[in-house]
Amino acid sequence: MNSIIFKKEIYTYFRNLNYIFLPLIFFFLVISIFPLVIGPNKSLIAKIIPGIIWITIIFTSLLSSSNFFKDDYNNGIIEMYLTSEKSIEFILFLKIIICWFFTIFPIIIFIPIVSIMFNISLHTLTTIFLTLLLGTPVLVSIGIFGSALTMGISKNNILGPIITVPFYIPVLIFSASAIESVSNGLPYDLQIYVLLSILLLILPTMPYLLKYTLRISINN
Amino acid sequence: MNISKIANLKYFYKHTKNVSKILSFITFSLFIVGIFWGLYIAPKDYLQGDSYRIIYVHVPAAWLSLQVYIVMAVTGFIALVWKIKIMEIISIQSASIGAYFTLIALVTGMIWGKPTWGTYWVWDARLTSELILLFLYIGIIVIYSSFTDKRQGAKIAALLAIVGLINIPIIHYSVEWWNTLHQGPTVTKFEKPSAHITMLMPLLYMLLVFNLYFVTVLIKRVRLGIFQREKNTKWMENYLND
Repeated sequence: MNSIIFKKEIYTYFRNLNYIFLPLIFFFLVISIFPLVIGPNKSLIAKIIPGIIWITIIFTSLLSSSNFFKDDYNNGIIEMYLTSEKSIEFILFLKIIICWFFTIFPIIIFIPIVSIMFNISLHTLTTIFLTLLLGTPVLVSIGIFGSALTMGISKNNILGPIITVPFYIPVLIFSASAIESVSNGLPYDLQIYVLLSILLLILPTMPYLLKYTLRISINN
Repeated sequence: MNISKIANLKYFYKHTKNVSKILSFITFSLFIVGIFWGLYIAPKDYLQGDSYRIIYVHVPAAWLSLQVYIVMAVTGFIALVWKIKIMEIISIQSASIGAYFTLIALVTGMIWGKPTWGTYWVWDARLTSELILLFLYIGIIVIYSSFTDKRQGAKIAALLAIVGLINIPIIHYSVEWWNTLHQGPTVTKFEKPSAHITMLMPLLYMLLVFNLYFVTVLIKRVRLGIFQREKNTKWMENYLND
């Protein structure tokens, strides 16, 4: 059963490649708008580009996760999952991972191109890479939690982001300060460990929280 | 529908009418006394002059903004686990009161910041986490109001409040850490003036009054919430006709 669901989830993304490409295009579009707004000052851009990357990643993940349960909810698949004997937690875990893999991971792979465009040093690039790898699964799962909360509301385009963004703050702070430390030549192990611990805390507990939220959202 | 739960709301609605009236009167008179005590009797601060007197509104409001959040999350937890209707109403009604307290704390803090720090706003750890607290409150109120089914909305809002309660210390400490890393000691972080007893007493008194105010307003709002939820029932009709 799990393998069938796994295949179904992957096919959903492969059959409509827009799911994969649109976030990528959106990311590059937004990140190339920033220099136009703040001016072509090279040193200023180099200073704030890690923050810009993170902000853009947040918007992208919000867009891709805000209507995460919409189709499944309209098709009645979620009710089916909740009434089935199999553990829904594992399915939800798979869904989170697959969503992250197909919408955010391609962007992380293309970060080196951004680093060429914005003159980021290799050392800083590695840190950005590492913080994104550890931080974005947390962002995606919190975004999915927001979409589960707002699932029962018909017009909820901006509501999910309003609820979820305050919960992003710890991840943001530690990622930004890791990048800041490495560009000042300071050690950044502590921040990476904190990010890792947040990830290891969120990923296993989120499916249970999601299951409970979906139950409340369905029962009306 | 469980009869006893309806009876519970009914009981609460019928028996708190006079209580809320008496409480409002007591709170109002105690508040006048506290304002007079804080603004007139309490001694002048040797450093900040009279401007420190805003503490008698600012500190209780900031305190209550956190305390109300805890009340909201705990009652929300009770509502989710034991499915008690009145707890849902208490939880969601606390949200708006808490948001007002947070707003008051922020605004009075800004007004106080101008003469003390020379600026209305700094990205100090406390200010930032208070601002994030306001956003959490707003999220909870907004999500509740977007649901057409208010019971479901109350449940979802309660869940969000509980998750937020776990998050508040994490956010607070990470913001504090961020602040010390980025800004260093440039901001003269406001410490409580090592309060003399003559200044501290009115403050504690005002804290008590604010708590009483919270209880009073909460009872009034819960009555309103019960009315909104039960306005089509038979007992409410009978009660209003009596």
